[in-house]
Amino acid sequence: MIEAIKKRIKIHFKAIVKYNKVAGLLVFALAPVLLTQFLVALPAVASVGSHLSRHESQRQSNMSQATAAAAAGAKTPQLQEGRTLFDENCSSCHGVDAAGSKLAPGLHGLGAGVVNLWVSSGWMPLANPGAEPARKPALFDLQQTNAISDYVASLSRGGIPILYPNLKGASVTEGFSIFALNCAPCHTITGAGDALSNGLYAPPLHGLTSTQVAEAVRSGPNNMPVFSTGVISKSQLKDLVAYVTKYIEHPDNPGGVGLGGVGPVAEGFIGLFVGVGLCLLVAFWIGDRTEKEEDKGHKKSETGVQHA
Amino acid sequence: MIDAIYNWIDNRLALSKSGRHLLNKIFPDHWSFMIGEIALYSFIVLLISGVFLTLYFVPSEAMTIYHGAYKPLDGMRVSQAYASTINISFGVRGGLFMRQLHHWAANIFVGSIVVHMLRVFFTGAFRRPREANWMIGATLLILAIFNGFLGYSIPDDLVSGTGIRIAFSILESIPFVGTNLAFFLFGGNYPGTDIIPRFFILHVLILPLVILGLLAAHLGMLVKHKHTQFKGRGARNDNVVGSPLWPNYAAKAGGFFFLTTGVTAILAALVQINPIWQYGPYVPYKVSYAVQPDWYMGWLDGALRVMPSWEIHLPGHMIPNVFFPGILLPGVTFTLIYLWPFIESKFITHDYAEHHLLDKPRDNPMRTAIGAAVFAFYFVLFGASSTDVLANYLQVSLNVVLWAFRIACIVVPIVVFPVAYKICLELQHLPEAGKRKRHMIIVRDEEGAYHSVDSEEYPGYVTPELAPVQIEEVDLSPEISALNATATPKDTGVYKIPRD
Repeated sequence: MIEAIKKRIKIHFKAIVKYNKVAGLLVFALAPVLLTQFLVALPAVASVGSHLSRHESQRQSNMSQATAAAAAGAKTPQLQEGRTLFDENCSSCHGVDAAGSKLAPGLHGLGAGVVNLWVSSGWMPLANPGAEPARKPALFDLQQTNAISDYVASLSRGGIPILYPNLKGASVTEGFSIFALNCAPCHTITGAGDALSNGLYAPPLHGLTSTQVAEAVRSGPNNMPVFSTGVISKSQLKDLVAYVTKYIEHPDNPGGVGLGGVGPVAEGFIGLFVGVGLCLLVAFWIGDRTEKEEDKGHKKSETGVQHA
Repeated sequence: MIDAIYNWIDNRLALSKSGRHLLNKIFPDHWSFMIGEIALYSFIVLLISGVFLTLYFVPSEAMTIYHGAYKPLDGMRVSQAYASTINISFGVRGGLFMRQLHHWAANIFVGSIVVHMLRVFFTGAFRRPREANWMIGATLLILAIFNGFLGYSIPDDLVSGTGIRIAFSILESIPFVGTNLAFFLFGGNYPGTDIIPRFFILHVLILPLVILGLLAAHLGMLVKHKHTQFKGRGARNDNVVGSPLWPNYAAKAGGFFFLTTGVTAILAALVQINPIWQYGPYVPYKVSYAVQPDWYMGWLDGALRVMPSWEIHLPGHMIPNVFFPGILLPGVTFTLIYLWPFIESKFITHDYAEHHLLDKPRDNPMRTAIGAAVFAFYFVLFGASSTDVLANYLQVSLNVVLWAFRIACIVVPIVVFPVAYKICLELQHLPEAGKRKRHMIIVRDEEGAYHSVDSEEYPGYVTPELAPVQIEEVDLSPEISALNATATPKDTGVYKIPRD
């Protein structure tokens, strides 16, 4: 009896080995990968939890400190409002009086322009500490944003002010040319934005205000380089801002659906799957149709046909 | 009168006989035999729209100041090629439609050639005696890709200019002769002033002529060899079963021409392609991130991206990295395509006989599996040309996407091969595979018991053994010889053939 079972198992094992070599190899090859993935993921999940709780406790302590030191340097109602908003929304990471903490850098020396850019674009406040700054609807309205910016700027000297470029007499043509030279190498020529190497990316440039564009050019947020007046002069900045705010979305853009401005990838996709695909469907339709009708014809007349 | 003129011409050119022969050509009815026609028809669209564009395009790199409808370019110094293309888009009535029609037709042209080629490959239609026609088809594909690239390049916009730059570097990478060859073709170092005029002549004159000639040869050989067909319905290796060219197939093909043109025109009217006014003119020191070529060059672009940065250092000479994906890969690819009919008969099937009956893909699992694996490889490369777009869309690091494609272009073909092979073997044992299932009808008899009955066959799947309809060939040789015998020198070498 046992002998027979042993024999059976042997046969089955042989069959499994014979027919599932490839599958077996794949499992053995993938198993360590999956295992390591799992092991890596475990502590990561755990650390996120602890990170969050640490952040929460720090936030609590910061808040109490902030209320204790309230109204110390707030001279005008605007600065007072900015200070309140900063303490409530920013100080948990950037520290009291924007001096910085373990979680985020201090903001001294940046000026109102940088703060205005980061807050108005929705980059700040972050979705959670440690998240990548991502474009999202701004948390504050214009007046609140300016209040925060002015408050942070009032804490130190230097940096760039909030910029309001005067677009009167700006040349879009010149702006297009400057854009192609300085911005298109990362943001692409259509301004659609794209992924750069090592996880960096250039965001799309659609729907920006002239203030945001000017501040980004002058301050270089994230991995973007700073373009100082030596590279892009004041009047050139005006032209550039005019192009980016007015024409990057190509208001007079004939020719039909734009396909996202990502170029031939989308076009090829449409050409192959819609163009050639529709033609194939038509071929299928025509070919099929004739087949059926002929069959009907054959049924009527085939009785007389002889086999060759 | 018309009869007399016709007779006069016919006596000299024998139109009636060859014409009747041609009109009686039998086309087997299967939708997949019409794929090549998509290419033919989009080529006609290309020719017509191309003539229109040629009337307005100025193939010159001389600089000019653009003044026109598009504001961000108004007053910019651009080449005449670029200015005239912008003018076609904004200034010429119907110009933008024609440009987009031309470009979409080009995409569909190359696409349908590829699909047609896949059909021919997987059904084994390239086997003896059609090897030469297969090679002509492959040549047509190369020429179509090449001409597409030239056409994409001549508007002299920022994106296509970058493409020319890459093409120049790829040419330069050819060992020993590269620099000379690149300088010869571009008329000196990059960027010269000869590129656009030269590309233009190649694009509108030389390559279309060659394509047209090869197309005629392709179709001529199709008539000569007669059409291949699938088994069944009385089709044998020594006959052709289907509808004659006139009138049945001509009506079908004519309708298909208009529908293909219609699809292209709908795309041209509704979907924007190559909006060069957004790209701006090409200036060698300006570059846009993430430029791609049109899709039919995409696999080459993908290969350039996926290739690790390896170089070969020989004493006194360095073979640069772009040589391998840019020259070696397409070279090997098309050599293999050219030689495939011979490779297959020598190493796989050992079959040198003439074949007029097609295989189903499952009938030759080895060929199908190899074809599927190779196609999968190029499809992955094609996908790799959009690494940046994918990384941006999926919000992951570009490097991750790149490495995923590096691994995929090795792993995917290895996986596809056995899967395709196994599927073929499985399908061989399922005669009903690919056919519509018949309804089951449940019937209740008078005793109350239930029975299931198969419904009637679908009309398309009944395959009665039909004998092929013989088309009478008028044998004129006895009459000609009789005339020869009675001919007098007065007839000046023209023999009158009686006609009823």
